[in-house]
Amino acid sequence: MTTMESTDKQQHTVSGAEITLDGVSKIYRGQQAPAVDNISLTVPAGEIVMFVGPSGCGKTTTLKMINRLIEPTSGTISIGGENIRAKKVDELRRTIGYVIQGGSLFPHMSVAKNISIVPKLLGWNTSRVKDRVDELLDLVGLDAAKYRDRYPRELSGGQQQRVGVARGLAADPPVILMDEPFGAVDPITRQRLQDELLSIQRELHKTIVCVTHDIDEAIKLGDRVLILQEGAHVAQYDTPEVVLSSPANDFAQDFVGAGSSLKRLSLARIADLELKTPTTAKVGDSTAQVRSRAEANGDGSVIVLDDRNRPLGWPWLRQLTGEKIVQPSGDLINLDSRATLNDALDTMLVSGHGGAVVTGDRDAYLGVIDFKTVTDFIEEMQREAETETKAAPAAGSDEHPASRISIAPTDEELDGGREG
Amino acid sequence: MWDFVVDRREQLLINAWNHAYLVILAVLFATVIAVVLAVVVTRLPKVEPVANAVSAAGLTIPSFALIGLLLPVTGLGDVTALVAVTFYAVLPILRNAIVGLQGVEPGLVESARGMGMSEPMTLLRIKLPLAWPVILSGIRVSLQMSMGVAAIAAYVLGPGLGAWIFQGLTQVGGKNAVNYALSATIGIVLLALILDLALLLVGRLTTSKGVRV
Amino acid sequence: MSIHIDAPIEQPAVGAGPAPRRGRLSGGSAIELFGIPILVVVGFLLYVWWRQTATLDSIEASSLDWSEVRLEVWQHLKLTVVASLVVVAIAVPLGVLLTRPRLRFLAPAVVGVANAGQAAPSIGLIVLLFMWLSGWSGFWVAILALALYGILPVLRNTITGLQGVDPTLVEAGRGLGYSGGSVLLRVELPLALPVIMAGIRTSLVLVVGTAALATFINAGGMGGMITAGITLYRYPVMVAGAVLIALLALLVEWVGRVLELLVRPKGI
Repeated sequence: MTTMESTDKQQHTVSGAEITLDGVSKIYRGQQAPAVDNISLTVPAGEIVMFVGPSGCGKTTTLKMINRLIEPTSGTISIGGENIRAKKVDELRRTIGYVIQGGSLFPHMSVAKNISIVPKLLGWNTSRVKDRVDELLDLVGLDAAKYRDRYPRELSGGQQQRVGVARGLAADPPVILMDEPFGAVDPITRQRLQDELLSIQRELHKTIVCVTHDIDEAIKLGDRVLILQEGAHVAQYDTPEVVLSSPANDFAQDFVGAGSSLKRLSLARIADLELKTPTTAKVGDSTAQVRSRAEANGDGSVIVLDDRNRPLGWPWLRQLTGEKIVQPSGDLINLDSRATLNDALDTMLVSGHGGAVVTGDRDAYLGVIDFKTVTDFIEEMQREAETETKAAPAAGSDEHPASRISIAPTDEELDGGREG
Repeated sequence: MWDFVVDRREQLLINAWNHAYLVILAVLFATVIAVVLAVVVTRLPKVEPVANAVSAAGLTIPSFALIGLLLPVTGLGDVTALVAVTFYAVLPILRNAIVGLQGVEPGLVESARGMGMSEPMTLLRIKLPLAWPVILSGIRVSLQMSMGVAAIAAYVLGPGLGAWIFQGLTQVGGKNAVNYALSATIGIVLLALILDLALLLVGRLTTSKGVRV
Repeated sequence: MSIHIDAPIEQPAVGAGPAPRRGRLSGGSAIELFGIPILVVVGFLLYVWWRQTATLDSIEASSLDWSEVRLEVWQHLKLTVVASLVVVAIAVPLGVLLTRPRLRFLAPAVVGVANAGQAAPSIGLIVLLFMWLSGWSGFWVAILALALYGILPVLRNTITGLQGVDPTLVEAGRGLGYSGGSVLLRVELPLALPVIMAGIRTSLVLVVGTAALATFINAGGMGGMITAGITLYRYPVMVAGAVLIALLALLVEWVGRVLELLVRPKGI
């Protein structure tokens, strides 16, 4: 998977900027112990770095010092080589996207107004702002025409969070800070939002610093994971693979938790697996032709795509009636190609096809992953893990992969998330 | 009664207009004063209990007593009426503005600041619009209360419908005494209803659809 | 003088905003609880000092004669107390009736009428009642007007308080074998008492303030000092009257606050 990431990066120009923290400390007034104690750190341009740690470890304080919501007691922070104190604080913040839990949308402003705040502060003209809003809504998978004039309370939690991400991206900032961005939504929605963030990042290559308390989220999203302990002392700062395979100390070991070799399941992305390519059809195709193509391929069902190659549905052949293919009723849950195998298993279990549709950038169709491919892969990993265990016994290796599979509660996201 | 009103309709309308004018002006002043005070108070947490205590004590002072206290300073007439009505009008708005501003979710304020909104901008574009429905309900209470205070202020020659109540009182036993007092009282009730409706309308027009109840 | 004390808090129907946090107000309450009596005592001492040292002309001296002031204070208190007793005697039973299952449907209508009545200016109400009830003594006209004025807060809070009692507690009471009346007396009223008392305090403040207008219909009270001051062009009399009424009003409000604390059932 690392090879794939590197080719990715070559294809795209990195628009992010490097962030460096140098000997940064924060002591809150009236407190003895520093909340953040002399942290030095470099966040490479164009990467996602996940700050993870128990509550009170100083991860949020560290994050908020980057956009100066909290001023450090000592030390310097620079973005793109420039000290953040060189600019006026409000101007600095306009160049840093900020996304917090639940989206934190302003309830008295429409979706479009919420997104256009920073562009307007920066003096963009009206038509440019309007185009940008539509572009961003499209990017986060919301139909602009349908959602731009809605108010936050008319959106589901997941939709609000998407708008929150769009708002953070609005003025195309090189750096985006996220504070528990997906903490307020249910597990299935969270998984989809994570997938979307990865897909957006594949396209934009921002520098993203994201705070979470969830090690699984950190491993899934991060190019690097920063594990912090009390006082924002760095327990480990490395790629997810290294964090999982060789925790730097007991704290990191405990935090990553038992069964780390199995946790690597969540490192395996769908992109690492071979996708099946069943029969596809476009809306408007002749039903008879599609049917004969499917029968020739030996498929009992077809995947219907829209004019931008985004999957709309996965009907069985018997469901194809009428002369032309029409947009199927009922919604499809797709998986982003960066989704983990855990996610894939979750999604397949709610699908009737024993498989799941995989999408890439901007929800474009890539193929189908089926149950057997995943289980074969898991078995292989399991064998690897066992050989590893024999070499160096690790806790939790007796855990069966099936115990990782869980059905998360569903919400309106299942039918409302991807309209349009 | 009907003939009485028809005969004096011009004076009645002038009085009603003056009454409304006094109350609206006082409530406008009061809104500005109360919102400014509330902004100050919510920024200085230590002052807040004091502000609440003062506003509770202020509401306790009978308006007739306040008018008596003001008279040596502001004299008979419009100014005393305006100051007295404004004083009472400030208190409910202040209380609600404090509650409303405090009710703004801290995460939203942090978001606004984090996006690069300056502090005054955050106040004007985030905090006040979000607190507005609560402030507005304080204004409605103020408005109703001010109608009655304005009537009493007529005793010290303040403008408005209250004058006829006192005129009726001085003519007790005369044939028009009841007519004067009754038409003025009903006039004030009607005016209160009309202004309340008008305020509801203003409220609807000035409250974002996203936070409307 | 139709002052709606605490209106934004005790009139939830008006407010569209978030419920005020009670905890936040308690800091203010502490100041009010201890600050107000101090303020009143200091104010009164200042008045006494001024009264003893100021040089007053004969008219001022006679208007502010101690026996005269005492009489007016006594009349004012009598108006306040009697009117408040009438208010409680009417509003609490009425509130209880309007929360019984059979009459519950009437509650919104009654509260609506009472609310609308509150929009009438107090001075107009007093003057009109005085004219219509020419056979009555000024005192009783004033009592009627004050009581009409004070009923709404108590009625509204009695209804709100009783409606706020957890129905499962009422059921539990019935389950223990209490009759409907016993449940009311032993469960519902004690639990609703804090809310009812808040209404009574609001009403007390309304009544003590409005009683200053009783002087216009020859029912006495401390408003007399202010009207005397105005008609005689004697500012010292007027200001002294205004200060004394304000002090009395603050004191009465404070008594209401103390009563509220005293009757609050332990454990709430």
